Order: sequence, then structure tokens, then C-alpha cells
Amino acid sequence: MKNSEPENIGAHSRRTFFKSLGTVAATAATSQVRTIGAELEKINSEKIIGPGPVPVTLTVNGEKLKLMIEPRVTLLDALRNYSSLTGAKEGCDRATCGACTVLLGDTPIYSCQKLAIEAQGIEITTVEGLAKDKRLSKVQLAFIEKDALQCGYCTPGFVMSVTALLKKNFHPTADDVKHACAGNLCRCGCHPHILQAALKAAGVEHAAKTEVITYA
Amino acid sequence: MKAFEYATAHSTDSARQLVADKGAYIAGGNDLLGLLKEYLVEANILVNIKSLPGMNKIEHARSHWTIGALVTVAQIENDADIKKHFPGLREAAADVASQQIRNVATVGGNLAQHSRCWYFRHRDTQCLKKNGDLCFARNGENRYHSLFTGNTCISPVVSSLATIFAALDATAIVLREGKEIRLSMAEFYQRAWENPLSHNSLGQGDLIVRVEIPTARPRSAFMQVSDKHAFDWALVSCAAAAEVVDGKLKSPRVALGSISNVPHQVETANQFLDGKVLDDATATHAADLILKDAKPLEHNGYKVPMAHALIRRTLLKLKGDA
Repeated sequence: MKNSEPENIGAHSRRTFFKSLGTVAATAATSQVRTIGAELEKINSEKIIGPGPVPVTLTVNGEKLKLMIEPRVTLLDALRNYSSLTGAKEGCDRATCGACTVLLGDTPIYSCQKLAIEAQGIEITTVEGLAKDKRLSKVQLAFIEKDALQCGYCTPGFVMSVTALLKKNFHPTADDVKHACAGNLCRCGCHPHILQAALKAAGVEHAAKTEVITYA
Repeated sequence: MKAFEYATAHSTDSARQLVADKGAYIAGGNDLLGLLKEYLVEANILVNIKSLPGMNKIEHARSHWTIGALVTVAQIENDADIKKHFPGLREAAADVASQQIRNVATVGGNLAQHSRCWYFRHRDTQCLKKNGDLCFARNGENRYHSLFTGNTCISPVVSSLATIFAALDATAIVLREGKEIRLSMAEFYQRAWENPLSHNSLGQGDLIVRVEIPTARPRSAFMQVSDKHAFDWALVSCAAAAEVVDGKLKSPRVALGSISNVPHQVETANQFLDGKVLDDATATHAADLILKDAKPLEHNGYKVPMAHALIRRTLLKLKGDA
């Protein structure tokens, strides 16, 4: 599993060059404090980290999550395997099925194709973060009411996609829902009910059954 | 995925230094992480370029617009001005993958993405594109493959943005060894036409910084046909762009995706369309010219009539209301 790269031995390897920059800049800083200070900050932020575990802080559902993980760990693995947040599901692990969908800020993304290290500093919301005071969100309630699932494996992903849509579009049409959910797959074939649930959650009741059947 | 080092670059100079000989730039990461997970590419370091200044903006000038390489596909899809001035670009962006991917996928990554050929993507297959001796698609399953190629590999370019950029005569500005070079879409993919090992003309360390689109073609359109209605690669995609003066096309350009290892453009068709009034007969003749030299294989012959219809439909969309 672990393929740690041997340390470079040469005196002028790229790694030691970048590591030494901080020191050089610090020495120079005595003469031109202000500009060099900014440079120093920049260089330190360009520091090479990994391939071993590095500290990563994620903000998930309002709580800080401090982890020691390798840079190659995806956000999905960080959530599921390093912190027991198993709401986001692993399906394809190739940005195709949508079961791993989480919100980064208000934006739905595939957590399987995002490095955890790159998800720092932005609020992450998983399906566990939707219920407030033990009350399910209106999207979750609509999924139950419209019977929008069978096995349930894709459900967290769909719920996150619909939640994201309703944050920016209060009155979506059926086409808006289809466009927003095109990146989520349900192998049980619950798409028509998922569409109804999304419209129900938006307060748009959807009577035309024929349109539901033409779900593409 | 094999383990890698990681760094965030704050200038293009340090990005180049950090990525060195064996690293890879990461922006949206959709294509790169997929390739790393399948062990199709190796990188000893990933250099995050999302913090490079000034590269995530869409800027307007009179003669051309500039789209930074870090602009996301969703940004293009949601930009009201793009919709007004480059409707074809907006249509192409909205058809790219899914909402989750468009939210993180960048213009640079969309252009630079690697082949989707299933023989290339299979980790156990040593095809021509991976330094092997044989293109397995030629005598194998080739329903998604090219009608045109400049070498033995028949893996098509699938970037929808490249197709519409070609029709709009856009230029990619690439930073190569500290100097900016300007590549037309034809030049950007030229090496894939010549060399099966290449997906595009970028070399190690080359960094796409922006794309410039001339405003000379206010009418544009993009259409694609896929197996699935949404979230699927195009079987064939077509983009057309022109100015329409007194009902006649001025400087028209047509480009097709997913049927060649470069955005497929035929200059004689563009010349034929220039100055013409768009009607069925003109569009049909243009489509004939564009597909004249198509060489279908065992399973992809359907792409010829499909492309023919798509060229006609896309061209006729340029008529708009006028």
C-alpha cells in the first residue's frame, strides 16, 4: 500500500532546495523586513509536503476534523475511513456514480475525486449534517414521503445534489432537477420518484405523470 | 494511487520549478486522479495551481475575450455574458459531464484531458498509446473511435470545449519554459495527430494559462449526440460559429469532436460556407465536404450519418431568429 519515496541524497535536490529557501529568506529579512516577510510567507506556503502523513484540518458539518493523512487520501476516504462519517458512499471511486456527493461550501462535488488536502478551509457538508436538532431536512422528508429509494445506497448523493440545487434555485422545473441530478445514478431505478421528491421539497407539486416517465 | 508529494504554487515560475521532470499540475483533478488511480500516469509530486493569481477570470475586450485556464466549466455555464456573446460556448459547457464535475473541472483541464479509449484506460492493456506495438481498437471494439487519424491510434479528442473553441478560432496561451506561446486549437492537438503517445501538444511542465476568443463570430452553436441524454461523452459533437451579415455567413467555421484525434476542421468547407445564405442545400454540401475523407471502421460507421445530420442541424442553428 505505502510506496514512500526514498529521501533524495544529493545536496542540491529539488526538495532540499525548496526546504532551504525559508532559511535564506529569513536571513535576508533582517535588511528588508516588509517585502521579504511577504516572500517568506509565500515560500513557506509553497513548501513541499508528503508523501507521508501530514496534518489536514477539515471543517465538516460545522466541526473541525484534525487528521494525519497522506496527500493522496481523497476527501471520501478521509470522511469514511479516517473519521467514521460514512454517509457519503463509495460507489465507482471514479467521479461517475455520484454516491459520494458532498457540498463544498454550497457546491456539490464528488468527494472521491477530490484530495482531502484540497478541501481544507471550506465548509464541507455531508448528509449527516443536514438534519438540525434531530429534525430531518425538507429534502430528506420529501425522499421518504415520495418513496424515492429502494436500496438507499445512492440516496445520500441524490439528497446532496437536490439540496445544492434548492439552495440556488427555489422553484426548479423538472428539467432543472434532471440537469442537477444527471451526475447521480440509481441502479434500483428510482429516478421518477427522486424527481418527484425534489419537486416536493421545493414546494412544486408535480402532477403530470407522463413527464415523469420520460425522465432521461 | 501511488503516494506523492504535494505543494501549492503561488507563481507560474515556482509551479514550473516544483513540477520539474516527474510532477503533474493539479487543478480540478478529475482526469488526473482517475489516471493516477488506474496507474496510467505517474507523478512524484502534485503541484496545486489553483492559487495562481489571475487565472480564474473571464475578461472582456473589444476584439477578444480572455478565459483564464482555471475558470471552471460551471463558471462558463452560468455566465450571462458568455450566453449572450458566445452561445455555443455556453451550450458546450452545459453539456460537459455532470454538475459535480463542472463545479471543479477547469478550462485548462478540459483541453488537456487524456484519451477516453477503453484500451488506453484499461490498466492491463499495453496499447500504442502506452508505448505498446498495437492499436487494439483498430481490430477490436471501436464504436466510440475516430473516423479520421493522422497515425495508427484512433482515439478521438473528446473535449467539448476544444470543439467550440476551434469553431470560434480561439487561441490557447501556454507557458513553456518561461515563455508564452500561442496555439490555435489545431496546433494544440497537432501532436496527437502525429504521435499516438500524445493526447495533445503539451510537453512536461507546459502550463495552459488562458484562452483568447475573438469576438468576430457573434453567432455560435454546439450540439452533441450521446448514448445517454446527459452526463455522457459525445459520440459526435459539432460546433459552428460565424457572423451573419445581411443573411450571409461571414468567416464561418465548423469543427467536430469525437471523430478525430484533433478537433476535425475542413478548410474547404469553411471557404465554401463563406458568403453563403444558410439553407438546407448549403448545410448539406458543407457536411459532405467535412466528411468526404472519413474512414469508418467495423463498429463506428454510424458516426458518418450522425455527424452529417449534426453538422446540418448545428449550422442551421446559426440562423437564429434573423
